[in-house]
Amino acid sequence: MSNIFWSNIFKSATDELQTITGLWQKTPLFEGIPARQIEFLSRKMHVRKFLADEVIFRQGDGGAGAILVLEGSVRVMANKTQLAQLETGDFFGEIALAEPEHRTADAFSIHNSSLVYFLRQDLEEWIEYEPRLGAKFLMNLSSTLAKRLLQANKLIAEH
Amino acid sequence: MPTTAYISSSSAYIQTFKIFAGIVAVCLASVYLLSSILIPIIISFTLYALFEPATLYLVRHKLNHSLSILIVLLLMLFFGFIAVGFALPQLFDQVSLLQAKLPQIILQLERLLTDYSGELSSLIGVDLDVSEVIISLLSQSSSFGQSLLLSLSDKVLGFTMTSLLVPFLTYYLLKDFKSVRNSMMNWLPNSSFELGWLIYHRVSRQLQLYTRGVMIQSGVMALVCMIGFSLIGMDIPILLGSITGILNLVPYVGPVISIILSLLVASAMTPFDPSLLYLGVLVIIAAQAVDNLVVIPAVIANAVNLHPVMVILGIIIFGSVFGTLGVILAIPAIATAKIIYLNIYADILNASQKSPG
Repeated sequence: MSNIFWSNIFKSATDELQTITGLWQKTPLFEGIPARQIEFLSRKMHVRKFLADEVIFRQGDGGAGAILVLEGSVRVMANKTQLAQLETGDFFGEIALAEPEHRTADAFSIHNSSLVYFLRQDLEEWIEYEPRLGAKFLMNLSSTLAKRLLQANKLIAEH
Repeated sequence: MPTTAYISSSSAYIQTFKIFAGIVAVCLASVYLLSSILIPIIISFTLYALFEPATLYLVRHKLNHSLSILIVLLLMLFFGFIAVGFALPQLFDQVSLLQAKLPQIILQLERLLTDYSGELSSLIGVDLDVSEVIISLLSQSSSFGQSLLLSLSDKVLGFTMTSLLVPFLTYYLLKDFKSVRNSMMNWLPNSSFELGWLIYHRVSRQLQLYTRGVMIQSGVMALVCMIGFSLIGMDIPILLGSITGILNLVPYVGPVISIILSLLVASAMTPFDPSLLYLGVLVIIAAQAVDNLVVIPAVIANAVNLHPVMVILGIIIFGSVFGTLGVILAIPAIATAKIIYLNIYADILNASQKSPG
């Protein structure tokens, strides 16, 4: 949790909303989706604060959605091997948007971090409002997942 | 490196049970606190589940959200008033007809019991005193008639309150439920945030499917039975069809009670026509066939997946604790409890088997 005495009280909720919208807009997930729609969705997203070293999720946990790093940094690990270190603007856990079964790695915050959760629940509700844009988003999601799969295959082949 | 409490897998059951018991206790306390307005709340949530797709449809066609809700609610009230205006007078007529026929139904039952008491006694191995059974049934039927009239007048106020509260609650559920839900889910700690949403996602999906499915199922059953009973010339077809539709909310037990009811009504008809006994049962079987072959596969196949024994036990337990409302809510409540229990258990087991590092 952020300390009320040290947090920036002049930073308004609108600023945060615009930052979140801007960060998602730069990701391949929202390619071709109008900024107004990303802002509409960002309003429904959930910002959570994590302390340094706090577990975000464990491998095998049920996943509820994709996560964007708003502030701080996150380490993603599997079998005690670091897979990635993510900074502001990076996103992870997007598999849960397609299949809410199990997280495939562990994730924890390295420093105090703010993370934005884009839940499958919110995605499904948005798709009901905007089926055309929802289809575009799902194409982006499948393309992102395919790229990750190709990368993983390449890594396996190299080792 | 993060630190996570490492628990043995054997304690996963105990830990799950403790959390689950806590959730059940909170639910029971909420039911107790809200008991006076529980029925309007349940009806409003049911209407919310039914009308949310219609609201979304209007919003998708670029209508303002509040305006969409108002249009849907006004249409609901309009058709509701038409249905009530058309059906209520007929239902009241048929209820008074049923009351008038009750003694005749009891007499018919007496004749049947007297005729077959010897065979029945030898079959079940107990001596049946028919006169005692009939006296008890007659006293119960007269008190039933009186209590029906008394409760009807007593509950007019409750009905008015519910009628006023339901559209109001439904409007605000359609308008604000999701933002209130999001605020409440934000109270969850980081460690349970995703699990909470995952459980909510699964429960809400199942309940919405179940509610919509059951409403359609009851409506189809009622309609088929009303038409069938009218065609074969049975008395009180609208009342009997409506009751069959409502009884269909209770699996296994409901259809059996419907058949008994139709047999009783057919046996009390003057002149007595034995073919109506078979035809009445045939109408209910035909309606069940439509239900099983068309409605269930199309509408509620994926809604709940519960073992029949669990369903029957649940109906008995919920019925004995919460009465009629418990009987109707038993299945969605058990299905919800099952999802919550299994998800918490899976999460705790995963934590017990794995420590990130």
